[in-house]
Amino acid sequence: MLRASGLVKSYRAPSGAPIRVLAGAELTVKGGEFVVVAGPSGSGKSTLLNVVGLLEDADAGETWYADECVSALGRNGRSRARARSVGFVFQSFLLLPSLTALDNVLLAARYAGRGGPDARRRALELLEELGVADRKDHFPPQLSGGEQQRVAYCRAVLNDPPLLLADEPTGNLDDANGAAILEGLRRRARAGAAVVVVSHRPDAAAGATAVYRLRNGVLEA
Amino acid sequence: MTGLRRILRGYAFTIAGITIGVAGLVALGAMSERIVRFIEGGDRFVLGQISVAGRGMGMGTGFTAGGLLPAAAIRKIAEVEGVAGVQSQVMLPLNPTTSQFMTLTQELVLGLDLSVPMPNRHFRELPVRAGRFLREGDRRVAVVGAAFAASRGLGVGGSVTLEGASYQVVGVLERMLTAPDRFVIVPIADAREQWVAKDRLLQAVLASGAAALTAADLNTGAAVGWRDGADPDAVALRIRAGVAGVNVQIPSELSQLLRSSTAFFSALFAGIGALALVIGGLSLANTMAAAVFERIRDFGVKRALGATDVYLGREVLGESLAVTLTGGIAGIAAALLLGAAIDGWAARSSQQLFHFSPRLLAGALGFSVLLGAAAAAWATFRVVSLSPAEAIRRGA
Repeated sequence: MLRASGLVKSYRAPSGAPIRVLAGAELTVKGGEFVVVAGPSGSGKSTLLNVVGLLEDADAGETWYADECVSALGRNGRSRARARSVGFVFQSFLLLPSLTALDNVLLAARYAGRGGPDARRRALELLEELGVADRKDHFPPQLSGGEQQRVAYCRAVLNDPPLLLADEPTGNLDDANGAAILEGLRRRARAGAAVVVVSHRPDAAAGATAVYRLRNGVLEA
Repeated sequence: MTGLRRILRGYAFTIAGITIGVAGLVALGAMSERIVRFIEGGDRFVLGQISVAGRGMGMGTGFTAGGLLPAAAIRKIAEVEGVAGVQSQVMLPLNPTTSQFMTLTQELVLGLDLSVPMPNRHFRELPVRAGRFLREGDRRVAVVGAAFAASRGLGVGGSVTLEGASYQVVGVLERMLTAPDRFVIVPIADAREQWVAKDRLLQAVLASGAAALTAADLNTGAAVGWRDGADPDAVALRIRAGVAGVNVQIPSELSQLLRSSTAFFSALFAGIGALALVIGGLSLANTMAAAVFERIRDFGVKRALGATDVYLGREVLGESLAVTLTGGIAGIAAALLLGAAIDGWAARSSQQLFHFSPRLLAGALGFSVLLGAAAAAWATFRVVSLSPAEAIRRGA
């Protein structure tokens, strides 16, 4: 489902000197695989996820979703590719504070052009499944961190995307909530999705198809 | 509806900012409109007739600042080629003890010869809001201007005392936002009596019998109308040349005089209006753009979820329209309330400071909506040109 090759990405330090974060990273994840990317803080794990998720451009390299080279698409083409193919779970949840939990979940369907009663029914099912159905009308500031991440997870999986990208999804959670989110991601992999999790938690690797370490800008098995 | 409520709740401070900006814009614009209407009204009046007074310094009343205009002079004016009608008038300050420096805002008594139709081409009759206008044969009755009536709580059936005599109010004029708002209009015979009562010099002259004056000679001026197709300036010049002992105001010259005497206020309020437009506009645009930039993280998230430029643009445009419309309407309402409160206070001294014309209100609303939408569109364009990751980082 996901194939990234030769990814290069550099940032500029305040001094102007380039900092190379990715130096030809390669990553292939098939449907049904649960891949964990580990590595020390600042090693470029989040950048890798942003690049393969089309949230930012690489300096070089290609990203393919199935048989489409999505890195070659324009801005709107990439937006459509994300809506169609990718679900994101972020460390800081990134729920919209002005929307209720249910509306936050439904946002994913709206941009994928799948709004309507079916999406609403599915969103309610997911909230129920994650144990936050009773919080559907609450706004993010009224939810705990664990509840917010469960809502964010529901948003990520609402459209049944073939690719799920999770950036430190348990970083701000206690053990119980972290385990629930990881289990949810594993379930998606078992259901056929390609799942990439960036995490420094050892328990994230449990049940993983592959575990990579990002070192010096490249992924090592 | 729920979505709209949510948007408005999310933009509460932005709406408050726009409300204040639009209220300031509308209030200053209404003051500017007020002075413009005053000047336009006066201009329209003086361009509708030729104003003639007797030569001299005399009472210095009204617009013509002349002396006595005797009946013989009025008859001679009527014979001048191109003249269609002459109406004798007496114009007196209501309170002669006050300074006549601000003649245009002074309360005046206007006596009209009702046996002659009003010759003013732009005011064949003065618009009456309640009751009726004066009729030939009336005595001891008055029609009062809107500001005069408001300042004294007068209505039809009320009474006003002028030089010790009581006058029944038979009509109240519509608010014209110009000089007649402060007029008390009475039959000319009554005005002549008031003039004599006010002017000790005139009393002495009449008592001495030194001048052979009749009541018909006691006129401070006359309004002269011209025939269809005649050039009013040319008719006025013919009166000046053909009738001795009169001051004749050439309509175009009087218009020019009025404009130059109000030029300072006109320029002042035009400047205030322009400043209001710039300051209010900048404040509104800045508030709206800031509201979009404040939500840069939300835009990043939405793009991450798949929102395209068109989708985001439509969303922001819809939101900015709702926000600026709400803020604009609230701002107009605030300005109307503020104006009503201040004008309520100013009415006690026969003044009105604001004129909220439909063109001002529609213009202010249109301006705020368009500017708000343009500012939001510009800010959105800036935001969507960032990558979603960068937008999220900057908004964190």
